Amino acid sequence: MGASLPAKEANLFKLIVKSYETKQYKKGLKAADAILKKFPDHGETLSMKGLTLNCMDRKSEAYELVRQGLKNDLKSHVCWHVYGLLYRSDREYREAIKCYRNALKIDPDNIEILRDLSLLQAQMRDLSGFVETRQQLLTLKPNHRMNWIGFAVAHDLNSNASKAFEILEAYEGTLEDDHPPENERCEHGEMLLYKISLLEKSGLFERALEELHKKEPKIVDKLAYKEQEVSLLVKLGHLEEGEKLYRILLSMNPDNYRYYEGLQKCLGLYSDNGHYSLDEIEGLDALYKSLRQQYKWSSAVKRIPLDFLQGEKFKEAADNYIRPLLTKGVPSLFSDLSPLYHHPGKADILEQLILELEHSIRTAGQYPGSSEKEPPSTLMWILFLLAQHYDKRGQHEIALSKIDEAIEHTPTVIDLYSVKSRILKHSGDLAAAAAFSDEARCMDLADRYINSECVKRMLQADQVALAEKTAVLFTKDGDQHNNLHDMQCMWYELASGESYFRQGDLGRALKKFLAVEKHYADITEDQFDFHSYCLRKMTLRTYVEMLAFQDRLHSHIYFHKAAAGAIRCYIKLFDSPPKSAAEEDEDMSKLLPSQKKKMRQKQRKAEARAKKEAEEKNEESSTSGVSKSGKRHVKPVDPDPRGEKLLQIQDPLSEAAKYLKLLQKSSPDSLETHLLAFELYMRKQKILLAFQAVKQLLRLDAEHPDSHRCLIKFFHKVGSMNAPSMDSEKLIWSVLEAERPTISQLHEKSLLEANNSFLENHKDSLMHRAAFAEMLYTLDPNKKSEAVKLIEDSTNDLAPRNGAIWPVKEWELKDCVAVHKLLGSVLDEQDAASRWKTRCAEYFPYSTYFEGRHSSASPNSALNQKCKNAENGSPNHSVGAQNANSITSNGNLEAFSKLSIQQS
Amino acid sequence: MGVGREVSISLDGVRDKNIMQLRKLNIALFPVRYNDNYYADALASGEYTKLAYYSDICVGAIACRLEKKDGGAVRVYIMTLGVLAPYRGLGIGTKLLNHVLDLCSKPNISEVYLHVQTNNDEAINFYKKFGFEITETIQNYYTNITPPDCYVLTKQIAPSSTKK
Repeated sequence: MGASLPAKEANLFKLIVKSYETKQYKKGLKAADAILKKFPDHGETLSMKGLTLNCMDRKSEAYELVRQGLKNDLKSHVCWHVYGLLYRSDREYREAIKCYRNALKIDPDNIEILRDLSLLQAQMRDLSGFVETRQQLLTLKPNHRMNWIGFAVAHDLNSNASKAFEILEAYEGTLEDDHPPENERCEHGEMLLYKISLLEKSGLFERALEELHKKEPKIVDKLAYKEQEVSLLVKLGHLEEGEKLYRILLSMNPDNYRYYEGLQKCLGLYSDNGHYSLDEIEGLDALYKSLRQQYKWSSAVKRIPLDFLQGEKFKEAADNYIRPLLTKGVPSLFSDLSPLYHHPGKADILEQLILELEHSIRTAGQYPGSSEKEPPSTLMWILFLLAQHYDKRGQHEIALSKIDEAIEHTPTVIDLYSVKSRILKHSGDLAAAAAFSDEARCMDLADRYINSECVKRMLQADQVALAEKTAVLFTKDGDQHNNLHDMQCMWYELASGESYFRQGDLGRALKKFLAVEKHYADITEDQFDFHSYCLRKMTLRTYVEMLAFQDRLHSHIYFHKAAAGAIRCYIKLFDSPPKSAAEEDEDMSKLLPSQKKKMRQKQRKAEARAKKEAEEKNEESSTSGVSKSGKRHVKPVDPDPRGEKLLQIQDPLSEAAKYLKLLQKSSPDSLETHLLAFELYMRKQKILLAFQAVKQLLRLDAEHPDSHRCLIKFFHKVGSMNAPSMDSEKLIWSVLEAERPTISQLHEKSLLEANNSFLENHKDSLMHRAAFAEMLYTLDPNKKSEAVKLIEDSTNDLAPRNGAIWPVKEWELKDCVAVHKLLGSVLDEQDAASRWKTRCAEYFPYSTYFEGRHSSASPNSALNQKCKNAENGSPNHSVGAQNANSITSNGNLEAFSKLSIQQS
Repeated sequence: MGVGREVSISLDGVRDKNIMQLRKLNIALFPVRYNDNYYADALASGEYTKLAYYSDICVGAIACRLEKKDGGAVRVYIMTLGVLAPYRGLGIGTKLLNHVLDLCSKPNISEVYLHVQTNNDEAINFYKKFGFEITETIQNYYTNITPPDCYVLTKQIAPSSTKK
């Protein structure tokens, strides 16, 4: 390095490198300038100066200098390496890899560059390249532990576990007998466990077990040892030994569900879908009875039997399970039980059971058959459980009456208000839900969870400003926007993005959705440091697991929601570009043209002002930020707080396509992914891609109303297009012609016929009827009245259910809302829409959308009052409260209440 | 009595973070809406205002006001004391009152007093058990309830300041 320089300058060059490594950038810069004074064209110095400036936040200069340096000295590996580092610092990994490769062409055995390259290859999952680089590193420095381990991990990642195992064996061969020294025992043990997991991965169970037993004294993590052992035993079919070991594990932790599952497997009493024969159930019952004797403090052992027991036995077990938890007061009891509602018949049994308990407590103060008096809180917890039960079953009115009674009984329990809020949300009154959630929040201002829950409810009710104010109560510096973003608080960003979307503020909505997308990019980015760290620390099993997690990162639900939200924004943006945005907010469209103009002007002025302020602030902070030791600790001010720049993109559909590709890759089994793909590609006129989306929809759920819609819309659209003229179009046509007969729904049928047979198959379902009607109108606009009539003739039957005490109607609120929108906007039949609204207001009395009589949208309802004076926090308006001078309970003297009057 | 299980009853202070609990109790217990002064006094009284928890549920409270007299003496005025109806008869009121009476053993506290409606015999008897005596009757103390009269119940504390 710096070879072409005279001695003095060569020393200076070394100083630059050293200063860079020790982050003394100013010093380095001085040295560089000293060299450049004499040798202004010295390439490596120019490069290093650039790299130094990069760390001082002078990006554009940095790139210029580094490129200049490279140009002056193309044969220098230093220049290429520096160029690679520069790209790496900007996360441009592909470019960085290219630079490193060029550097290695000049200096093939440069350990530092090889190591940097290997990290990038791991990050980019260039696995064969990773193996190669790791091999080179090992060949160059075989006495370095990390190089052995790195080579093995590279092979493992490249799906060659047995090769990885061999490498670790060879590595072990190089060790002394007395290895490891005391301070490396944990690390060595981890390596051994990783090695054994490699054998397991390659299917060599016998060998793995042997190795495990042989190395037992050297493995420090005894629990991992046992878990590995039992996993191998089961895979080898040594079930008896497996059973023994699982019992030992259970005695160590009797609340680990996986151990119970394993034990059942060893005993031949396990099924993946949870269905068991009567014999099996008996066996399981006996097993868990004996386990319960052993593990008295385990809650898992009590809860698991509820999953497999049926009928009377289930009822008895549920009874025994629920009673003590109600006595103790466990607010999470319902969410513990709620998976059981998916088992046929169990919800009915639970309902009956809880009602029996309620009755007995009310009349006798004790559980049926028990002689012990229950504490007074038991009744309240029963009511609490019942409220959630009825909510789950869609019987919101009863649920509300139960929760109100619980609140009357003990008005200080916060969970009651949270649940009331949830019931109101489910029954369609989001404003009232937010009001009750706020009330819960006020009861413990130190509880972040209820604060967050309240924020979410406010966002659901589109009270964004209020939600922001509430969220800020729990963020540190008061600048909550950045703070919540920095904390990657994704539920908040999603909920607020969705709210902005509902309110038509696409800019802000996009901003929030893209923020979530960015978090995922950051998470991907964050693994970078672990490529070197984990090899050094030997946490290999966890490392490999983490990489696997990263590979499926984008299938996470939050990413899915954010990407879907962003795509919807872009589609809407394409359908109604911002310039002609009369529909952007409804208020505007109601104004006179002159008023509109004025408002626009006002808006523009305000925007300009805000922009200027933001820029000024930004400048200020960046200059002051740099002056302090070149580090950036001042956050830049957001230059586009309302996301207006995001709205000004040229081609929203291509932007959407970027996110769609991620969805197609990571959520291929979600209907929504392909619905969005269909909408997008139809707009982009990409016929074959749209067709692919249709086929995916049919694969996932051919009977779904939306799948049907897309199918009909697609062929209807294709049918109405002009005959193909260009060759490429002809090609598309021929593909479609070949494919159409393979779609069974359309087999030898016209679209109208296909639509009819769809209706025939799903006559009794509201949403299917709606889809049929919409398609009927699409295919033949003259049949609009027929379509409307078909929707209006739908009947809301009682949901089929045995043993239910209260009847429930079948239709769901969100479906009815969708039908209302269909009638009002797609079919444009205002009379029918308003008839529909009146009808649904009956079904959903708490729905604000349909202005049900109990909802806060109805001026005389109690909830309306509640929402109006949400701020004074006095919910218990009912005058049922105790009179001041009445002593109700048992004439006991300690029970009393008294009065006082405040004196001013 | 009655309840065969041991349920722990504990007391906790009132802070601005949980004052809503006291409000909820008062709404449920008393027909009077207390104003902000009441809550400011309660907060200012420190240890003299307590919430009672039945396992983890807030079910009762005692709220006091400390009244400074000339010469550094302090009178304790019990503004409210109450327990939610379902949780009465469990010794919670006694525990709350005893807590305040224990605090009152400080030398500068001369007396504890309170107002009670004249027909509230059970409350009167309750306080008498703890050494309170009727010291005064105030006509038309209450405006919206009958009877409108109240007694002042007082318990003398500091033996040094007795003038008898």
